[in-house]
Amino acid sequence: MGKSAPQQGDLVVALAQIATCPGQLQRNLDRHLEMVAKALEAGAHLVAFPELSVSGYLLAHGVLEHALRLDDPLLSPLLDASRHAAILVGLPLREPHGGISNAAVLLEGGEVRGVHRKLYLPTYGMFDEGRYFIPGPRLEPLTCSLGRFGVLICEDAWHLSSSAILSRADLDAFIVISGGPSELDLGGEPAGGRRWHWILGAVAITTVTPVFFTNRCGWEEGVLFGGASWAVDSRGATIAGPAPALEESLLIAHLSRAAAARARTLTPIPYAERLELWSAVTERRDA
Amino acid sequence: MLELPPVNVQLLARALEAFLAEELRASGLAGYFVGLSGGVDSAVSAALAAAAVGPEKVRALALPGPASSPESLRDAQTVAKAFGLELDVVDLGRPTEALAETLGARADRVRFGNMMARLRMVALFDRARPVPALVLGTSNKSEILLGYSTLFGDAAASVQPLGDVWKTHIFALAQVLGVPDPVVAKSPTADLWPGQTDAGELGFDYPTVDPVLYWHHEGGMGRDELAASGFPPALVDSALAAYRRNRFKWRPTVVARVSASCINVDRILPRNPER
Repeated sequence: MGKSAPQQGDLVVALAQIATCPGQLQRNLDRHLEMVAKALEAGAHLVAFPELSVSGYLLAHGVLEHALRLDDPLLSPLLDASRHAAILVGLPLREPHGGISNAAVLLEGGEVRGVHRKLYLPTYGMFDEGRYFIPGPRLEPLTCSLGRFGVLICEDAWHLSSSAILSRADLDAFIVISGGPSELDLGGEPAGGRRWHWILGAVAITTVTPVFFTNRCGWEEGVLFGGASWAVDSRGATIAGPAPALEESLLIAHLSRAAAARARTLTPIPYAERLELWSAVTERRDA
Repeated sequence: MLELPPVNVQLLARALEAFLAEELRASGLAGYFVGLSGGVDSAVSAALAAAAVGPEKVRALALPGPASSPESLRDAQTVAKAFGLELDVVDLGRPTEALAETLGARADRVRFGNMMARLRMVALFDRARPVPALVLGTSNKSEILLGYSTLFGDAAASVQPLGDVWKTHIFALAQVLGVPDPVVAKSPTADLWPGQTDAGELGFDYPTVDPVLYWHHEGGMGRDELAASGFPPALVDSALAAYRRNRFKWRPTVVARVSASCINVDRILPRNPER
């Protein structure tokens, strides 16, 4: 919970850390609806779910069976629920002209408000996303009546250029949805949660933009996911969480838009970002 | 000397319990069936399963053979009692002897030992069927990497909660889970012939070899780097030889791909879709 009392105009975001099961879509959908109901009771305006929350993460070629179109009847209950709060879900999206995207879909008022397709598909170590998905073509904010959100899917956030670019788009907040696996070490929580803490803290502080992070927890196909969902303000202070690593949780985070705007006025780092330097390096390398 | 990085065993135990709970839920089956050898691996597996799904959903079998030591059965009974598990004892002595006689394998202790291990697998899967239950594996990462197991014998199971856990860490897990001390303290053995121990057959014990395997398998260090970092060259050579020689056991079978939809090559699919 936020440290100060909620004010008029605050945004209340629910981070639904759920344990999905690959290929058990009806079960996963039921978990969504249960979490949305709890989030509404807590006064949430927006409920964010993890990456591929509808289908499960380790589908592999199961995406061929389980990829959805945006008008799939399976999504109807979520669209209905979105009349009460905006909902951000992750799913394998069957593209009209072929290919399947790893997508984040923003629902509000019974409609699809926007889709972000994952840009960076990790294909190394245990990851094989480049084999099953096509990469997203563009990076732009998703908007709904609640504001403008920089939505990133897991590996997207590991490329700091994603947040640097989006930070110039007058965002209200970043929402990072993830299916982040983790190993265990001597720490009291899975190691992945610590890595996310560093990355998301850096994103929030360097872009002076709040970050909402929802990760999945639990096990799929023998792979442990690290949870640790978290909300952090634009100065790096915790708003809510981190959620416990191994348990399903619903975090309720209050964001003060006024405080976020003040922070960007006092610390206008993103306005000074010289994105042309990035392209200059690329041009020199390719010359 | 390089060491095996430590792990938070309390968190490891909680995570593995969650794994066993989820695998059972996703499978739709009713419980687990575990073979208790009287050793630390099966004791840890059983303790994790009992904590994960409740002891009433975990059934145990002790499967002594003609050469099993009496302490093994006693220790299996101690473990079952410690974790509240119902234990059946099935003496595999006569069937193993009979099959060995039929196949002419009695004089070869490795063939006889493998047969014993595979008959234990037969018993576990048979008893699991009517429950219906998943067969709970007890193999650990160290023995899998070294190939110190019987293919389709003790290596066969529905789930392997310890398959990515170093044996060194299993001793630590045993302590936090409350495995009785005599079971933790005794020398690891497959108990396939009198006096057999893992260390006697492998030529090294697990706390000695685990750091070598870790820095090679996960750390990416080659033979010369390992030796230069202080590991005895004979230990390194012996460990890496087993690591290479028995690698076929990591993937127990290979399917000849002759189509564009070869199972587990062109089509890797989740194990437990909605039914």
